Amino acid sequence: MTETDPSSGADRASRRGLTRVVDAGIELGDNALLHLDPARWSRSPARWLLGWWMVAQFAAQMLVLALSPTSYRRHQRPFIYRQLYASTAPTLPGFVALSALLSLVIIRIVIASAAAYGLSQYALDVLVRTLVVELLPLLVALYVALRFTMPSGEEVADMRQQGVLHAIWQGGGDPARDLLLPRVLAGVFSVVFLAALSAVLALVMTYVSLYGFTGWGFAAYTRDVGQVFTPAATLILGLKAFFFSLVVAILPIAPNPRYDGAPLRPRDEISQLGRLFALILLIEVLSLVGNYY
Amino acid sequence: MPEPIESPPPVRHLELKARLLLLAMVLLVSGAVGYLMYARGAFERTQQVVLVADDSEGIVVGMSMTFYGFPIGRVGRIELSPDGNARIIVDVRHTDAHWLRTSSVFTIESGLVGGTKIRAFTGVLSDPLLPDGAERKALRGDAAAEIPRMVASVRELVNNLGALTNQDAPLNASLRNLQLAAERLNGPRGAIGVLLGNDADARRLSQALERTNTLLARVDGLVLRADGIAQRTDGMIARADQQVFGQDGVVSETRATVVQLNGLLADARNSLKKVDAVLVEAQAIGANTREATTDLGSLRAEVESSLRKVEHLVNEINRKWPFARDTQIKLP
Repeated sequence: MTETDPSSGADRASRRGLTRVVDAGIELGDNALLHLDPARWSRSPARWLLGWWMVAQFAAQMLVLALSPTSYRRHQRPFIYRQLYASTAPTLPGFVALSALLSLVIIRIVIASAAAYGLSQYALDVLVRTLVVELLPLLVALYVALRFTMPSGEEVADMRQQGVLHAIWQGGGDPARDLLLPRVLAGVFSVVFLAALSAVLALVMTYVSLYGFTGWGFAAYTRDVGQVFTPAATLILGLKAFFFSLVVAILPIAPNPRYDGAPLRPRDEISQLGRLFALILLIEVLSLVGNYY
Repeated sequence: MPEPIESPPPVRHLELKARLLLLAMVLLVSGAVGYLMYARGAFERTQQVVLVADDSEGIVVGMSMTFYGFPIGRVGRIELSPDGNARIIVDVRHTDAHWLRTSSVFTIESGLVGGTKIRAFTGVLSDPLLPDGAERKALRGDAAAEIPRMVASVRELVNNLGALTNQDAPLNASLRNLQLAAERLNGPRGAIGVLLGNDADARRLSQALERTNTLLARVDGLVLRADGIAQRTDGMIARADQQVFGQDGVVSETRATVVQLNGLLADARNSLKKVDAVLVEAQAIGANTREATTDLGSLRAEVESSLRKVEHLVNEINRKWPFARDTQIKLP
């Protein structure tokens, strides 16, 4: 981790690069943003593309910040830790209960139907493929979006609206690094952590449902699980979880072109959720195509 | 550094908790990766078996090879050999490799439902171990391939069934006759009517049955009488027994006669011995007689020569005697 002087030339240049997106609401001005109103996007594909371009640019800058060691200096860690904790800890019990319940229901349905059709030997395969690989990551992404990143994005929008980000910028601070990056990192962490946790939980519950609290089925179970997770399937699952986490963490926090000085209306949140959901579904469909074609 | 306007309430030991969360995630992810690597067999020592099959349809990399239902290896690679066969390279766990022997048989089976299965069978577990990298031919059993043949057989069967159940089929006619017979069975004459065909014969049969019954009653009386005769015969047999085998019966007397006969036979044997001695003496007499006969021969020769001399002398006298001119000699 390298310490650099904030007043150095290189740092100033990077700050200029960040200005446009991070303080979009301030730099572009209200009129410019009005032209980017999503309600008008449908009338103009160019504006629609411009809106997504802004989101993509914000995402790229967040990735660059996340990958640069200077974002993890000692005095920035408390911000990251606070968001990390806020993203995961309060939602953990509720999520564990929800995912356990959902897993249990699906496991029972699959095992009972497989037994009814005399295909018990394929129950585990079906469970791992549907529950662990497809359903749980999707559930986690939506859960984290609803419980953490969308409220968090609302906070950021409020701060943008109240000029807090601009004030920090004027005061020599870096709002992108201190306020936005920790939220993005927390969103990514939360999705990956909860996905891993729910997958492990589902695997354990599947084992217990199939074999009970005994150890004799472990070898056969492990072998069957291993047959599902081919290198390609594992890679696709990893990529899917990563892109889910990026979409969930970045999209709600990205500057909202709708911003025009007025508070966000519920309709905007719904449209934002719609965009989020569309992106998640796109990733899911791509992963399915990769897995089964 | 300006603080955000809405800072959440401070959390106690925030850093520790956040670090614990991070640690938990690292443990979860690394544990999951490790488990998957273990499940994929990354830490197993393996040896290879190359199965050669006509086609590799249904075989996928990673599927198991089972030995009596227990997975002992997994397909590592599938390739096409230069002679057009599929080469399935199976990685067998080192700990399970001893189940495979040089005489092991490998099959690839495709069921109607579910994936293809690779199975290994070992009949003789005392054969030498299968060496690493050994190449074996895999036998293919395909249930799906049986279906067309089965369908053809079933169609033939259905055709035959159709012919059997046709309106004018022999089976149908037989069934109709059977139905008629069943109706007559239920009729007043019953099975007899069915067997004989007409009522007159059936009536005669009933009469014959009645007469047979009376005959049987008489036979019963006869049998009773025969019983009496048999009892009397029994008494006679007892008496005969007494006469034959009793105290003064035929048998005991016969035994005495036999004893006497034995004595007679001994006397006869003694007489025969005496006759033997007589015969020996007669033999000696015979020998003496043979010697005497030999002497008699030489005597006869001398007599014959004397007679010839006498004859010669008589001839001489006759020739020299003047009164006798007849030279013919008359033999007596």
